[in-house]
Amino acid sequence: MNCEWVQQNITLYLYNELGDDARHELEQHVARCTNCAAELSEQQEFQVQMNALPVEEPSASFLAAARMRLQEALETAEQARPWYHRWAFDPAAWLRQVRFSPALASLIFLIGFGGGIGAMYSAFGNGHAAHVPSTPAEASMIGGITSIEKEPGTDNVKVQYDKRLPESVQGSVSDPKVQDLLLYAAKSNENSGVRLNSVDALTSKADDPRVRETLTYALRYDSNPGVRLMALDGLGSFVKDDIRVRNAVLEALLNDSNLGVRSGALHALDPVRADSSVRMALDQLSKEDPSDYIRTECKRMLASMPSIY
Amino acid sequence: MVGQARSRMNDTELIREAQRGNRAAFEELVRHYDGAVLRLAYHLTRSEQDAQDIYQEAFLKAYRNIGNFRFECSFYTWIYRIVTNLCLDLLRKRQVRKEDSGVTTDSEGGSYDLLDQVADARSGASPERDLMRRELGARIAKALQKLTPRERMVFEMKHYQGLKLRTIGEMLNTTEETAKNTLFRGTQKLRAALKDMR
Repeated sequence: MNCEWVQQNITLYLYNELGDDARHELEQHVARCTNCAAELSEQQEFQVQMNALPVEEPSASFLAAARMRLQEALETAEQARPWYHRWAFDPAAWLRQVRFSPALASLIFLIGFGGGIGAMYSAFGNGHAAHVPSTPAEASMIGGITSIEKEPGTDNVKVQYDKRLPESVQGSVSDPKVQDLLLYAAKSNENSGVRLNSVDALTSKADDPRVRETLTYALRYDSNPGVRLMALDGLGSFVKDDIRVRNAVLEALLNDSNLGVRSGALHALDPVRADSSVRMALDQLSKEDPSDYIRTECKRMLASMPSIY
Repeated sequence: MVGQARSRMNDTELIREAQRGNRAAFEELVRHYDGAVLRLAYHLTRSEQDAQDIYQEAFLKAYRNIGNFRFECSFYTWIYRIVTNLCLDLLRKRQVRKEDSGVTTDSEGGSYDLLDQVADARSGASPERDLMRRELGARIAKALQKLTPRERMVFEMKHYQGLKLRTIGEMLNTTEETAKNTLFRGTQKLRAALKDMR
């Protein structure tokens, strides 16, 4: 370790940004070198000086005023619809449009797409009913109940509901139409098997940033560990070049509830084990992780690292 | 780590609700972060009015675009990315207009020296010490003007807000290495500026 390196890294040292090994070596050097010790002392004084402009917590009244102003603005603010809502059916939004646009309603009725076509049916207690789905298979055709109105003084009830029409599309994963459906399914489907198959199909296209985002989402938030593992498989080769992927995999190593996912994340991080955040995580886990396997593997990875000097 | 995981789950539920148009959920989400946002904006701009404007614009932008939030980063990083971009825009505008004197404005448009507000909480603080601190504070404020907006932003986030360089890099949409170099350059400039003012 030479003085040039030390002097360039004193700032990082004082901000606690150096890894344990580097910090220790710097401290050892400064204990022996008067020039570097003087530089350290000057920078410490500089940091103390800069605190003459302290950061103050906003007062309660300042914060309250900001919140009130924001609340007023939110009353009239509108949200942009997310990209996947272009293809997903939103019954509430559709109803609002159809009320004022019968021509649009007819057009939507004719087109349809996978998730929903709006239709309104009334069910009356006196038997003047349109066909109401009664079997489980038919019940699954219901897109959603949009309103229920009771006729006062009678046992008549008007139920408005949307009906689903199944559709299918077939083609390559590279086909945008197919890919969009897969991306939507990977995030939004209630069935973990469907999500698993979507993620599996998408892993071959992980070089596409949109696909990687979805795989990262699945790794972070899917409730099923199989889906998370599948997403991890698809992301593994991107930990080096994509910082978002690296962060997601690191989080999985630290926070995932499933040991299989954590082990997978650990091995996926092997190519970037020299990264300072990864090293810090490995160091911590090698000492504190409850799993013997994780502790042993972290120690092995740390031991195999090249020297930093 | 458990606390962080729990808090992340809570944010996730609130975000999903907010994405469905639930304004109350969004307002609850705002309350998790708005104190820190206002603190950053106020310390950087030294103006109550500007800090409130940044606060307002940042959270309105977040509300309008929360449907596009894809959970590829934490909400904290996402909102801070918005806030830092707004702060950078303001600093660049000020640089062009050569603003950024020691005088600031409160939310009613009245002007005052921010350093008048820096109270010394220690009992028995002497007027001379207080004056020296205020003078040093004024020199520091002047030295900070010598930084580029980006250098100032990185220094603010590292020194005053205590964020990790990796996080700062993410928020500024750059690498940790670039954030390190920016911090180093900014620190050197500040040290040189303070030395010149002695």
